[in-house]
Amino acid sequence: MAKKRKEIQEVANQISRRMILVGSLQIGFGLVLIGRLYQLQILHSDSYLKLSDKNQFDHRLVVAPRGRLLDSKNRLLAGNSEVFELVVIPARTKNLEMLLIEIDNIVGLSREEIEDIIVAAKNQPDFIEISIKSDLTQRELSHLAIRSAVLEGVLFQKNFNRIYPQGKLLSHVTGYVSGITAGEVEKNRKLQRLVGLKTGKSGLEKTLDDSLRGIAGKERIEVNSRGKPVRFISDSVPKQGRDHQLTIDIDIQSYAVNRLKLGNSEQVEMAQSSVQEAINNNDELKAHINIGETMILKDANSRYVPPEAGAVVLMDIHTGAVIAMVSSPAYDPNLFAGRISNRAWHNLNEHPRVPLLNRVIAGLYSPGSTFKMVVYAAALEAGVISSDAAFKCKGFFEFGDRDFYCWQEKGHGVVNGRQAIAQSCDVYFYQIALKTGIERIHNMAKRMGLGKITNVGIPDEKVGIMPNREWKKNTRGTVWTPGETVIAGIGQGFVLTTPIQLSVMTARLANGKKAVKAKLLSEATKTSDDFPPLDISSSVLREIQRSMRSVISSARGTARKYELNGYGLAGKTGTVQVKRISKAEREEGIIDNIDRRWKDRDHALFVGYAPYDKPKYAISVIVEHGGSGSSMAAPIARDILQFALERHDT
Amino acid sequence: MNWTSRLLLIPWLMIISMFILVIIGTMALYSASDGVWTISVKQHLIRSAIGFLIAFFIAFLPINWLFRISFLAWFAFVCVLMLMPFIGVGAGATRWIDLGVMNFQPSEPTKIAVILLLARYLSLRTFDQIDKFSIYIPAIFIIGIPSALVLRQPDLGTGLMILVGGLAVIFVSGLPKKYVFLGLGTVGASIPIIWGQLYDYQKARLLTFLNPDKDILGAGWQITQSKIALGSGGLFGKGFLQGSQSQLDYLPEKQTDFVFTLIGEEFGFVGSITIILIYFMIILSVTSIGLKAKNRFTRLVSSGLGMIVFLYVFINIAMVTGVLPVVGAPLPLLSYGGTAMLTVFVILGISINLSINRDKEDLEIS
Repeated sequence: MAKKRKEIQEVANQISRRMILVGSLQIGFGLVLIGRLYQLQILHSDSYLKLSDKNQFDHRLVVAPRGRLLDSKNRLLAGNSEVFELVVIPARTKNLEMLLIEIDNIVGLSREEIEDIIVAAKNQPDFIEISIKSDLTQRELSHLAIRSAVLEGVLFQKNFNRIYPQGKLLSHVTGYVSGITAGEVEKNRKLQRLVGLKTGKSGLEKTLDDSLRGIAGKERIEVNSRGKPVRFISDSVPKQGRDHQLTIDIDIQSYAVNRLKLGNSEQVEMAQSSVQEAINNNDELKAHINIGETMILKDANSRYVPPEAGAVVLMDIHTGAVIAMVSSPAYDPNLFAGRISNRAWHNLNEHPRVPLLNRVIAGLYSPGSTFKMVVYAAALEAGVISSDAAFKCKGFFEFGDRDFYCWQEKGHGVVNGRQAIAQSCDVYFYQIALKTGIERIHNMAKRMGLGKITNVGIPDEKVGIMPNREWKKNTRGTVWTPGETVIAGIGQGFVLTTPIQLSVMTARLANGKKAVKAKLLSEATKTSDDFPPLDISSSVLREIQRSMRSVISSARGTARKYELNGYGLAGKTGTVQVKRISKAEREEGIIDNIDRRWKDRDHALFVGYAPYDKPKYAISVIVEHGGSGSSMAAPIARDILQFALERHDT
Repeated sequence: MNWTSRLLLIPWLMIISMFILVIIGTMALYSASDGVWTISVKQHLIRSAIGFLIAFFIAFLPINWLFRISFLAWFAFVCVLMLMPFIGVGAGATRWIDLGVMNFQPSEPTKIAVILLLARYLSLRTFDQIDKFSIYIPAIFIIGIPSALVLRQPDLGTGLMILVGGLAVIFVSGLPKKYVFLGLGTVGASIPIIWGQLYDYQKARLLTFLNPDKDILGAGWQITQSKIALGSGGLFGKGFLQGSQSQLDYLPEKQTDFVFTLIGEEFGFVGSITIILIYFMIILSVTSIGLKAKNRFTRLVSSGLGMIVFLYVFINIAMVTGVLPVVGAPLPLLSYGGTAMLTVFVILGISINLSINRDKEDLEIS
């Protein structure tokens, strides 16, 4: 036993000795590594640093030309033009600030630009190039070339500027590009090596940015002993981004833009001295001139006014293709391609009518009477009324302790559903809304695409509001009241929609079978066979469609004056109160829109489709503070539909 | 023994060192992804968290269980390695099995199975048997079969690790000196034979290693660029996210095998030395468990596992500094990659387990 214990102890000691031996060997090998690192990182560091510098300057990325945007007939909407750009590599300069002052003497830089460059140089590794000035003119180029011997660390390179040949016509659809921002670099540090890269900041340019950007090329620079580049050797050629074809037809777009802007006024010659005088005395006109507006109008009261603001969406009801998408006022996307001046930015950003806002997808409007189809369809589907059911309108509807007025002070008398749509009787809809209930109205509206993002492809789309009990509880924390259902029955109160949602609704009503979705890219319309079914009975839809037709065809229809000859128009007008009318004002008599301040006038709406028998296009028109839907929005919609249909037929 | 005194036996230094390395590894991967929180950076963190969980699971298994499953584990991995030519994936080399969530490299955990089985076998030998040559024949098979299978995959780095790790356990167990010298002589004599067995690309790597400048754009390119990156880092480095060699893609495997180079470039000599010291902290923690333990199994396992961690560190850093040829070996906890990191977490789990139970004397009998 003692012997065995001794033996065990002996083995244990042997193992300990050997473990220590192995451990020492490991430490010895560890010291070899440390010695090696000392040799590399301390003793020979200088020579490796030179090699690393050489690597940095050897190698750079070349920005690929951006993919183009084309219209449905392959006309250029966004393309590239070649420019010369001046860049600096901070690591190669002795004193960046002195160098920039030197360059300032030749091409002119603002204090702000110089500071931006110095800040940029501090925030990124110094071997990365920084753009000093893109879009050099021939003259600047030759001046710089002469002085290039003294400008250390400066290079010229070819680059591309984004151009939008259509100017302001389609700015809200294409969006614009500009230089990369600090925020984008934060998200993707690789971007800082792509000198001169511009990224999409809004519109399709932003949505399709990855696809449009293409693949950067790689280039090696041969440098002479004084550090001047001698020649560029391409390792891989940049690959241009993908082209995208839009569903927009630029001719129809152009017509729609001008037709909306014109409204019911008359265009005047800008050169007239009376017009010039009006511009000088009117801040609103001046603000429009400052963003490049060339259209000035004379209204019915012979006042000089800016073009109408608002939105138009024209859609194919079968494919969902958006043929025209107008938001007025617009901006010129070409302004952003270089470095936008502070002044130009200020003019856009501080403009009273917000030209940077894309009203089509981010403008929120009460749908007003254009919502009545939704309420009528919900009521018919639920069976709370039949299409023969008639109600008496005496000009107002008493509910609880409140009177809800009809737009027709005298009242419409006894009207059925179709007549109520045609004459836009509010009292009829107050009553059927109550019978139907907000939940059913809410569900029908959602099925029509209201209160839902359309995902048409433009960033920052707003969803709007399609209220119900749950919505009110979650957002306001209070219960829904029946009075709120009454007012929702005429598309006012909480209800808020975007113009594109209204066009989708109209397209679905006209299509009748499929829940059509709005599309802006041609390739997306090729897969449009898979729209889900709309799932509304054909008898209900037929009644809605006939009612919309009678808005134009019946003797008392609100849009009876605007028949689309040869095609047949169906639609619905809407006039949305912006300012609440007080009891006193109502008793005194409501002031005509044209006599109110612009901001206080009603919004004018029209949704519709044509041809009535064989629908092709659906349209929604909103003229901000345009007065009434029937006199302002309906003729615009009619004219645009006519232009599109005639163009399609020829 | 109550649990508070057990807590004191947990190798805290090892756990903390590994935690620090995971954090440094995440930062390095973030830098290697051009300063973007890519999926791989997040995955590295998630995998480490899972690794710690696995380690704690293993830590509280009964130690006898480790002892008992060693043969089964070894046998299972040898079977999998034999099947690799049929079930493996990967370009050219059949090292990985596609498990859906990750690619699994069975040769990695095989290292641990070899150490466990060897330790079990050798710890059961009596004093009289140690001097006999015949008892080492099974030990040679325990090491030889899996390492030969891995070398044929071909995976030179992992194969050598199994070989050297296993031989270290035999050496520590008390192999008589005469056999040690005999063994060293055999290795020396077999070098030409091994050379004959190598694949052409392995030969090319070895030749390139001996003279990297001759082939500056081919196989030697990686090592030349790695040396430039490390060397240009100098004493304090170029700064976080400022390493031009890595940011400009001069280091092709900067997220995996060359992650040490990236750290060396951005944090310099100071950074590199810190990393090496932390790894040695782990190696010494593992080994010291064995020095303090009262049973032979624990002592042999800990020296074997310590050797494996050492080999990971030495092979990788020696490779990226140009001391050894490029064999394609990761630096666990810093490199992006699942299996090697998992292996190190399993080593952590076993180490905690051994450490808590280090006062048990009669493990081999039970």
